[in-house]
Amino acid sequence: MKGTYLGEFEEVVLLAVAILAGDAYGASITNEIEQQMGRSVNLGAVHAALHRLEEKGLLSSRLGGATAERGGRSKRFFTVTMAGTKALDNIREIRNRMWSAIPKPA
Amino acid sequence: MNAPTQPPKWATRLLHWFCASHLADDLEGDLLELFAQRVRTYGIREARRRYVRDVLSLMRPFAVKEKRKKYPQPAFIQPAMIRNYFKLAFRNLAKHKMFSIINVLGLSAGMTACFLIALYVHFELTYDAFNQKADRIYRIAADIKTSSETLRYAISPWAMASNMQNDFPEVEAFVRVQKEETLIRKGDLKFIEENTVLVDSTLFRVFDLKLLKGNPKTALAAPLSLVLTETAARKYFGDADPIGQTLLLGDDNEPAQVTGVMQDPPANSQIKGDIFVSMSTYTAHQDKNIEREWGSFGAIAYVLVKPGTAPGAMEKKFPAFVQNHAGKMMAGQQMQISLSLEPLRDIYLHSTRPADESGSVDNLYIFSAVALFIMVIACINFVNLTTARSVERAREVGMRKAVGAPKSALARQFITESVLMCMIAFVLSMAVAAALLPFFNALAGKQVSKGIIDEIFFVAAGLVVAALVGTMAGIYPAFVLSSFEPVKVLKGRFTTSIKGIMLRKGLVTVQFAISIVMIIATIVVYTQLDFMRSHDLGFTKDQMLVVQAGTGRNRDAFKASILNFAGVRSAAASAAIPGSWTPQAYSKVENSGGEMQAGNLDVYRVDFDFIRQYGLKVVAGRAFSRAYSTDSIQSLMINEAAAKVLGYRSAGEAVGKKFEQWGRKGVIIGVVRDFHFKSLQENIKPLTFRITDFWNGNLLSVKIDGGRVNQTVSAIENQWKKANPDKPFTYYFLDEFYDRQYRADERFEALFLNFAALAIFISCLGLLGLASYSTVQRTKEIGVRKVMGASAASIVGLLSKDFLQLVGIAFVIAAPLSWFAMHRWLEGFAYKTDIRAWIFVAAGLLSTFVALATISFQSIRAALMNPVKSLRSE
Repeated sequence: MKGTYLGEFEEVVLLAVAILAGDAYGASITNEIEQQMGRSVNLGAVHAALHRLEEKGLLSSRLGGATAERGGRSKRFFTVTMAGTKALDNIREIRNRMWSAIPKPA
Repeated sequence: MNAPTQPPKWATRLLHWFCASHLADDLEGDLLELFAQRVRTYGIREARRRYVRDVLSLMRPFAVKEKRKKYPQPAFIQPAMIRNYFKLAFRNLAKHKMFSIINVLGLSAGMTACFLIALYVHFELTYDAFNQKADRIYRIAADIKTSSETLRYAISPWAMASNMQNDFPEVEAFVRVQKEETLIRKGDLKFIEENTVLVDSTLFRVFDLKLLKGNPKTALAAPLSLVLTETAARKYFGDADPIGQTLLLGDDNEPAQVTGVMQDPPANSQIKGDIFVSMSTYTAHQDKNIEREWGSFGAIAYVLVKPGTAPGAMEKKFPAFVQNHAGKMMAGQQMQISLSLEPLRDIYLHSTRPADESGSVDNLYIFSAVALFIMVIACINFVNLTTARSVERAREVGMRKAVGAPKSALARQFITESVLMCMIAFVLSMAVAAALLPFFNALAGKQVSKGIIDEIFFVAAGLVVAALVGTMAGIYPAFVLSSFEPVKVLKGRFTTSIKGIMLRKGLVTVQFAISIVMIIATIVVYTQLDFMRSHDLGFTKDQMLVVQAGTGRNRDAFKASILNFAGVRSAAASAAIPGSWTPQAYSKVENSGGEMQAGNLDVYRVDFDFIRQYGLKVVAGRAFSRAYSTDSIQSLMINEAAAKVLGYRSAGEAVGKKFEQWGRKGVIIGVVRDFHFKSLQENIKPLTFRITDFWNGNLLSVKIDGGRVNQTVSAIENQWKKANPDKPFTYYFLDEFYDRQYRADERFEALFLNFAALAIFISCLGLLGLASYSTVQRTKEIGVRKVMGASAASIVGLLSKDFLQLVGIAFVIAAPLSWFAMHRWLEGFAYKTDIRAWIFVAAGLLSTFVALATISFQSIRAALMNPVKSLRSE
């Protein structure tokens, strides 16, 4: 089944959604990633990743409120699903295990 | 001041263009939000730049793809809806059987006609096209100019072709073709083969005729070798292998060997024949000097030029070439030969030189126009009937629109229906065409098609055309029907628009105009043919039997032996008869100025009884007579046309003038009144008569009693068999033979008659449909009128009046058009009938009558209906 593998950028987007916890939508996620990573990100790349993560079942979305700044257009809010949390945990565990496996310099 | 605080509009528009509709909204929200933030952080320029970059970066598959809708939108192709369209289409067909039958019948009749005509036109246009080298093959035509006229020959001097190959590097090969009638014998089998062809051995190199057995290079090289077509081979040898077999050729029974069997040439090939005899049989065996003769014309010469040869440049060298070889001969005979090249593909349709068979581009145009007209009439019917029925469909359209059908879906539905109708008509028309093909071949007088199976390409093309016609014819009704306003039609306040009525009336007028043109054309063609058949030809052609009776003493003996039969009145021998080919002789005749005028004149070689038996009137001098011993070698008779060419004011002046012709010298003894020895399409040409030589005059005309034709013919046949057991008895009747010249015109007539009838038929179907529709529309009006005391007759008149007006208008349009067209057609005849007023009157009355009869089906019924019933309807 696809969805088990997470690309690097997908992982970052997934983390950003988790950080924003409930206030995650296209623009806010883009801002968050730009701040965290210190580089500019294309909205298209973010949305593509969001779309893929939703397809894999790691994110879910609903349409929500609009602001004047958005010209009255609704936001699509993203939340991390159970599977998404599990996937993040899984990655972290693997990383930790690998970190700990690095031999300490003598 | 703060002008561009907005993101670039084009980028937003681009987003909406490519982006799936369900995503566009929130993506644009994100873009706008980021834009606002970036304006604050980075400034307007950078924000706009990033905005554009983001939009471009969004051009990804996920954004473009539409989401599956929860509630399916009517897509372009919805299987369920398509099924529904078909179901309704069939239900409608079944419900309105009358309309459906009229519609389908009209359409399929039109399609059948078009299909057959298309086959014919294609056949004619692809004449000789099977030759792959056709663009490099030319016929060499010769014009011979004498002091009095120019003769345009398709044949050329015998010595020309081989010299041309020597002198012109452009010539790759040449082939000469000469068709002859030859007696062929094999044991007891004997046939006069009309299609024996003398050809050079290069036949298979120049033309793409397929040799099935034998060597194409050598098969026709040696004298007395034969190549048979498959058909001829079967005729003589059955299933046995004909290669190496012997057939006896000609009156001298020369044994010739079969060296090859070829596939039958295609029906649309100029090179046609049953038995091909090597040219060397003639040039190297029978007449050894002929290859050097420039003054003797015969055989059609074709040259195959090398690729890249410009025919114009080659033609420029011809005069010098001819002068070089034949200059002396031409000077001696006071004539000038000039040669020209005719491209092979153009010969059949465009060349005006004499030919066994030739096509007519004009006829092709006429036929194509007829086909188009018939198709137009059929389509008009279709459009008319469908729109006329729109009222009945109005409620359906209203319902469909009310439950959400868009206009496009309705248009699609109606187009589907009309395409379906066309398909049904198409299938029907193909079946009819397949059944009609043999008759059509007979009508056209040639094997246009072997069967519909061979025309798969045409059937496929026809299918496409049918679908196209269905779409085209369906577009207008679909447009009309789908634009009904649901509120109005569902409330029942529906009236047909004036525009729609005008259009339908206009279309009916067009239909009838076309039909009337065709009626007039048919009548004119008929009167012209009748005129030609009944025109005084200047000679007797009835009860005249023509027997191929050989020459010399044998013929004279045979003639004498039948003269005392009860049914035989008289007999005369000649080398030509009216309607047959006549040779032309180089002649010098003293003209009114006292000079010897040179020219090529048609020659009739006749015996002493010919003039009397054919009823030719001697207007000056005397006829040939046995009483004058000099008549058989020193006398010439001419016709009035010849006297005129020589400049004599009256026929009497020509008598006693000197002549020289084909080795004879002497005086003109008599002048014969002009008679039509060729068809009435031509003017009467100058003609000379001389007494036969012992080697010619093989046609024996026998005048027989009208009462006992059959007995007399069989008595003559028995006598022939007794006298000539080894030769077949070949005969025909002069009137049939003469009228054979009009066969093309008769075909034309038959074709016109058929298609005019078809056009009228289809138009009437349309009229019937419209009439019944309009009567239904006016049911109530008729009821009210009857209640108020209108008579049945006045109601019939009321209903018919409108349509008769249309026929009247159609007539006004059609009459001048057809007069003009037929006037042009008649110009092709030297002797022609006038286009008289009664033809127009007849055509007008006929179409009025037919229209009236058609309408009366409906109107009388409507007029007789009980008004109580009609007022209660609804």
